[in-house]
Amino acid sequence: MKKKTAVVGFGCAGYHAVKAMREHGYDGEIDVYTDSDWAPGNPMLTTYYIYGKIRKEGTMPFGAMEEIQKQFGFCVRREAVSRVLSEEKAVQTSDGRKEIYDQILISTGARAFVPPIPGADSENVFVMRTMDDAEQVKAALSTGKIKSAVVVGASMVGIKLVELFHANGIECTLADMAPYIFPVSAVPQIAADIEARLKEKGIRLVFSKALQAIENENGKLKVVFADGEAVPCDLVMMCIGTRANTQIADEKLAVNRGIVVDTSMRTNMPGIYSAGDCCEGNNIQTGQTQIIGIWDNAARQGETAGANMAGIKTVYPGNMLHNITHFMGMDFIGYGDVRSEGKEYTYENPEFGQKFVVREKDGVPVCMNFLDSYGASGVFKAYMIKRLEGSREPLSPVARVRMIREGVPEKVMDLLND
Amino acid sequence: MGKVIDLDIHKCSACGACAVACMDQNDLDVTAGVSPFRVVCDLEEKNGGFEYYSIACFHCEDAPCITACPCNCLSKDEETGFTIYDNTNCIGCHSCAMACPFGAPSYAADGKMIKCDGCVERVKCGLEPACVRNCPTGALTLLDEEEFKEVKVTRSLKKIMDMANE
Ligand SMILES: Cc1cc2nc3c(=O)[nH]c(=O)nc-3n(C[C@H](O)[C@H](O)[C@H](O)COP(=O)(O)OP(=O)(O)OC[C@H]3O[C@@H](n4cnc5c(N)ncnc54)[C@H](O)[C@@H]3O)c2cc1C
Ligand code: SF4
Ligand code: SF4
Ligand code: SF4
Repeated sequence: MKKKTAVVGFGCAGYHAVKAMREHGYDGEIDVYTDSDWAPGNPMLTTYYIYGKIRKEGTMPFGAMEEIQKQFGFCVRREAVSRVLSEEKAVQTSDGRKEIYDQILISTGARAFVPPIPGADSENVFVMRTMDDAEQVKAALSTGKIKSAVVVGASMVGIKLVELFHANGIECTLADMAPYIFPVSAVPQIAADIEARLKEKGIRLVFSKALQAIENENGKLKVVFADGEAVPCDLVMMCIGTRANTQIADEKLAVNRGIVVDTSMRTNMPGIYSAGDCCEGNNIQTGQTQIIGIWDNAARQGETAGANMAGIKTVYPGNMLHNITHFMGMDFIGYGDVRSEGKEYTYENPEFGQKFVVREKDGVPVCMNFLDSYGASGVFKAYMIKRLEGSREPLSPVARVRMIREGVPEKVMDLLND
Repeated sequence: MGKVIDLDIHKCSACGACAVACMDQNDLDVTAGVSPFRVVCDLEEKNGGFEYYSIACFHCEDAPCITACPCNCLSKDEETGFTIYDNTNCIGCHSCAMACPFGAPSYAADGKMIKCDGCVERVKCGLEPACVRNCPTGALTLLDEEEFKEVKVTRSLKKIMDMANE
């Protein structure tokens, strides 16, 4: 009898899993469960859609569901899954129906986190993750009545909204409880440089302040902080963080912040896999499992799950924390765990306006932050991962050629070659 | 059959003819700060000597840039195996730069990604890529995959990099 597989959630990870299954010769049935019509969509394109940089079709990078269905052959179940019963390998939908499978992939991604504060549900208070969120913000902006906005959360998502509002001539304040921008990935001195640039562009920064409430007086909003400071505005964006969609996992499945998986994307329960923003895969720097919620990681994890579900033993060694964020004409690039300890070195290339901060321990870079040096970003990433994995090879000639061309100071290369 | 563009490091003199040909072939606006897809450089070796390099996209078999692009701009050309692109939906996020171990993606004045596509249209018509065609020393060559595996390019840059990345 042919095998039966369920894929729950069809974003980047779900799509790549189905694709890999078919490419590796899986010829059984596949049921794809989705609670969204915007599938497979890309959450990181929402702000670009509002901005007008891409059209709605562009936010679904793999094309429409029907096209993908034709390509890979699967059945679409447009319903939300309420529970995955891991021992039975069953999927339960919100109407209580249960269906048994041979294997199940949980690829439900993540959702925007809204803190339980008074006023969080007021009109013109938004989050950003789905196309619905994007349409709501787009509609609010199109009224022409939004003259000022507060973005709460100096995260990668937050900065994209600052960029959007700034481009629309909206007075913008960026607020965070942390003392500086990008607290989970930036070292203080790089954060300070970014903040100086933002201030120059007219962005107000309110840091080290905890959000307490959003007051709503006849449509006039006021963001109130714990120390009593209040910022009046027409619109509030909550970009405080995301939460993995792990609610459907039953109590037998190992779940921390995300569903815990091994390097084959298997959970602790046989036949149940997980991939993407809902799971915790291996962090090669720490050797622990951790959510690394970026597009590329979701794709790789999905591919790996798909291959293994097709019976082809495949391992994805994991990833390190890293990101490249291009906004308002600048690039922030971060690698590794910002909390890791080591000796810190700072270099600049004044001609290109670039800054490089490298923290290293025993010849291994453990955290790097660059400002405006994207050209060689992948060369650095590949090199750092190799070093973390134990290699002591010097930079390859191609890496050196590229670094020289991109203006990387000789001293940075010497440091890495040590 | 898959194609490979390779450099014989022993033959390259870093003359730059390939980079100029690339600029011309792809209409690259160098005055607007766009660099040619082929970068030419000499590197001083530890012994004081020099090695010469001409590098562009390696058209990796399992190309990390393809999976990393959030807009699905990059793909493989089935016939040649070159990593090609359609940047209509490119948002200029630089994720492809972060994914490429060789720094191959480049960006046009409008911020959209552009890169070496192996001169795929020329190759499909039986012509050599512009850089290969214009290399005066025969350092750059276009090979079929099988030839690449057999032929002994004295010091093949692609083989060196493939080994380094294993
Ligand atoms: C504004 C923004 C900016 C970002 N910027 C970047 C960036 O610059 N670089 C980067 O790499 N990443 C970025 N990201 C993160 C990136 O978008 C994610 O890492 C990636 O999309 C994760 O894919 P996924 O498939 O795991 O999850 P998702 O894309 O969230 O897909 C999960 C799918 O499952 C569905 N689902 C959930 N629960 C159920 C259920 N119970 N039943 C049925 N279906 C369900 C959801 O509706 C969704 O369609 C950004 C994200 C946001 C929101
Ligand atoms: S752009 Fe980089 S990653 Fe992509 S195929 Fe070329 S060399 Fe490989
Ligand atoms: S810059 Fe363009 S091509 Fe590169 S990853 Fe981003 S969207 Fe894709
Ligand atoms: S193959 Fe074509 S596009 Fe690529 S480097 Fe050579 S000339 Fe430029």
